[in-house]
Amino acid sequence: MRNTRILGVGHHLPSHVVTNADLTAMMDTTEDWILQRTGIRERRFSDGWTGAADMGAEAAKEALQHAGVSARDLDCIILATLSPDVDTPATACLLQHRMGIGGMPAFDVRNQCSGFLYGLAIADKFIRTGTYNRVLLVGAETHSTGLDLTTRGREVAVIFGDGAGALVLGPEADTRRGILSTHLHAQGKFAEKLWLESPAARSRPRLTEDMISGDEARIFPKMQGRYVFRHAVTRFPEVIREALDANGLAVADLSLLIPHQANLRISQMVALGLELPEEKVFNNIDRYGNTTAGSIPIALYEALQAGRIHDGDLVCLAAFGSGFTWASALIRW
Amino acid sequence: MASAILGLGHHLPAEVECTGVRRPIAVEPVGPSALAVPAATQALQRAALTPDAVDFIIFATTTPDVTFPGSGCWFQRQLGFGTTPALDIRAQCAGFVFGLSIADQFLRAGVYERVLVIGAEVHSSGLDYSERGAPIARLFGDGAGVVLVGNDARAGIRSAVIHADGRHHDRFWCEYPSSRQHPVRMTVENFRQGKHFPAIDFESVQRFGEASLPAVIQESLRAADITVKDVDRFIICHLLPEVTESAAKKIGIPSSRLNIPAARHGHLAAAALPVALSEEVSSGRLGAGATVCLAASGSGFAWGAAVVTL
Repeated sequence: MRNTRILGVGHHLPSHVVTNADLTAMMDTTEDWILQRTGIRERRFSDGWTGAADMGAEAAKEALQHAGVSARDLDCIILATLSPDVDTPATACLLQHRMGIGGMPAFDVRNQCSGFLYGLAIADKFIRTGTYNRVLLVGAETHSTGLDLTTRGREVAVIFGDGAGALVLGPEADTRRGILSTHLHAQGKFAEKLWLESPAARSRPRLTEDMISGDEARIFPKMQGRYVFRHAVTRFPEVIREALDANGLAVADLSLLIPHQANLRISQMVALGLELPEEKVFNNIDRYGNTTAGSIPIALYEALQAGRIHDGDLVCLAAFGSGFTWASALIRW
Repeated sequence: MASAILGLGHHLPAEVECTGVRRPIAVEPVGPSALAVPAATQALQRAALTPDAVDFIIFATTTPDVTFPGSGCWFQRQLGFGTTPALDIRAQCAGFVFGLSIADQFLRAGVYERVLVIGAEVHSSGLDYSERGAPIARLFGDGAGVVLVGNDARAGIRSAVIHADGRHHDRFWCEYPSSRQHPVRMTVENFRQGKHFPAIDFESVQRFGEASLPAVIQESLRAADITVKDVDRFIICHLLPEVTESAAKKIGIPSSRLNIPAARHGHLAAAALPVALSEEVSSGRLGAGATVCLAASGSGFAWGAAVVTL
């Protein structure tokens, strides 16, 4: 069996910058409170009729260019999001449409903050088995249209930003290189700790006017922040060690950790717990906030641009979030 | 390493009459995860296994329990799994075939040994049963089907081919909530216009079904290195039973070997194929060694087919 290699990386961020100061005009909060709690200084919000497929198509274009692969040569498209362009079909289909291609399978992965790594695990297996040779994996989010940007929603709203990242993946003959392993987990017991309820197929009817607007609106995400934080700082190190153990490697072998950008305080605690020096952990949450499925590929793109990843480096990608779901992937560059 | 089917299960809510037809409809407020629990219990029982033997859950649906997290997570907690990974995929009516293909990759790569592939839908809570919506609402049903697949010396999953063409995404869709609508993805006005209900261009869906189903069935047979005569049963999922019939006729599938889930239960989308397969096994019509071709074409457009030997 062969391994999977990252052939190209791309990203797209909307140009509209929303600073913490901008948010203080919409809700009762302070720039300092947001920065202290989350490490976020600003995030991007998309405008007009821009959605995950549009941003994803831009990121894909860049990744394809970087990989030297033509869109028509793609064998499979996987898109991870929790803010789909439409209810049905999958946003991957709209991405396909936007890219002007068709025929190859296209589907969505809906695993929240871990969605990109669940998608990476799937892409990796499709390539390892020899089923496909060129897989496009996109993580894209338009959070801004689903946030309660009033004082009532401030705890969640200040965290999230819009953006997309993409990888083009292909085979690697040397099984000591490329994606070494992927590790996935979930624990639905904590599904309500970070969730967005409506529309919900389990309520009859699925949607009412009261769910959309007013004091009882249920179309905005809800989070028990402290709870999520506590589980994140346990699961992150656990799943990173799981990946290292599976390959007979240790934390000291790591060249770079790219954690899902959920909250800078979580990343710092994780680094501390693993005894990883600051220069071995990549963070860009200060500029983009939490872009959920988009955060890891955007960070990977920036880490490469900044020259923080070299040939032969051991890179770990890890995520934790709503579900709860958590995951990791270990890559020998 | 190959993948084989270890157990099957399904669950359909009681039939209810609405818009002049009888359909399995979950009258209680439940999500697809709750319908999948008895189906999965049955699949595990038939395989003589307990939930802790499952390494991976793949949940295909177009009608998730809540907006997020995915139905796989809600399913996982009801069945009492520990931290078994739970993947949610969206590939609409073809979701089960996509899920089966993904399961097959993880098994063949040797990463997991047993995978639950679930197709489950609660359409009824999101349909417009008024006179205006009835022509669409009456086509759908609710239900769940589960297939437990695992590593095996014999090749149970003999082929699984999947496709999509998003250029037709607005021919069979449900547009809202639409995260691309700024500044708010769902407004009271969108709601009053009924934009949260499915809309279907029947002519396009029919034309595409009649073209894609024969082609993808033939592709799956070629990939399994067999022909139509080697298949004991064709289970074909499409919104419109008459499209399934004409697609089957085109490639010489006799009606005695054709199973059209939508003709009995209405359109169950991601649930249609595992429900119908489990029904065939429960009734004793299909037993060990039988070869089945499962095919689906629908919203996306996304389509696919798989050949499995029980």
